[in-house]
Amino acid sequence: MSILQTIKDKVRSRSIHVSYVDLGSCNGCDIEVLACLAPRYDIEQYGIYVHNNPREADVLIVIGAYTPGWQEKLTPLWEKIPDPKAAIAVGNCPISGCCFNRRGAYIDPPVSKHIPVAAEVPGCPPRPTEILAAILSVRDAVFANWEGRQR
Amino acid sequence: MAASIIWYLREFFRPGWLKKFLFAKTAPLTTPPYFRDFPEPTGKPCQHALFCMMVCPAPGAIDVVMEEDGWRPRIHKGHCIRCGLCVEACPNGVLRSGRILETRKAEGTAFIVTFRISIDPDLCTGCGNCATSCPVNKQLDPQIGAGGHSSNDEVIMRVLDGDVHVLHEEKCTGCKTCEVSCPTRAIQIARILEGTQQPQKGGGQ
Repeated sequence: MSILQTIKDKVRSRSIHVSYVDLGSCNGCDIEVLACLAPRYDIEQYGIYVHNNPREADVLIVIGAYTPGWQEKLTPLWEKIPDPKAAIAVGNCPISGCCFNRRGAYIDPPVSKHIPVAAEVPGCPPRPTEILAAILSVRDAVFANWEGRQR
Repeated sequence: MAASIIWYLREFFRPGWLKKFLFAKTAPLTTPPYFRDFPEPTGKPCQHALFCMMVCPAPGAIDVVMEEDGWRPRIHKGHCIRCGLCVEACPNGVLRSGRILETRKAEGTAFIVTFRISIDPDLCTGCGNCATSCPVNKQLDPQIGAGGHSSNDEVIMRVLDGDVHVLHEEKCTGCKTCEVSCPTRAIQIARILEGTQQPQKGGGQ
């Protein structure tokens, strides 16, 4: 790995841009993501910035149990994100459907059927520190030596 | 000119500023000890009462499975909502999470699970499948066979004169095997969960 690549990795690891999308959840996990932004947990001190724009995002945070309204929207949204990219399923809903996964419910979990999910954060809702730890763990796996792996 | 550049370089590369820029300013917050995390085994043997599975509000979150050295509750992450009801409902203290067990002891709270057997006499054909399939019946009267007749009056229910008679409702464990084996859906088991609190010692409220 060249010096240039090392510098690139170092810089990228301090500049993760996050977009989040709610596929029909109860808002509990959204509030936990918002708590990450607040001074107590302060996600930006780790160089993670929430923009909510898929065109400039590196990490997509997926919340919610995939309602039918997202069938034609989630995959285009995932394709809009430039490489290298990763999706993180936050909460029980994108993993199992949680308490919404009952007979006759209009949901289609898990989200990993529809887009590749790099990390899962179980919990209903998960703690902000767990969300933070998941983003930081994905960062090294996805962004390290990206150009080297492309060749 | 040169002095000005040096001034700028020293301004931008002062160690304190670099450290502040490159490293997190607050320590990562640790999980407090009272946090109600996913239930963990305490090491006490599971008695297979299945109250954890009955009380669990999340679908598919807890299973009690047979492993080589006995029954074990297994928590499924991604389904578990960390409500802690299984920890509280377990009569044997098999699971542990946060301060739930300590709080339960200090405040004298408990869950009492009772079962009510109701048989619809219009639907019941008196076939005796319920009495035969019942695992508790089988333990109390190993002689019980097809037809559900028993000479033992310790059994939960038995067939007498073409009708099912419930003798000992309190022995029911709520497994609902009889409900599954009933051909006409005449028998229904109601699981009733009750929260209770013992009066505090020392004349509290």
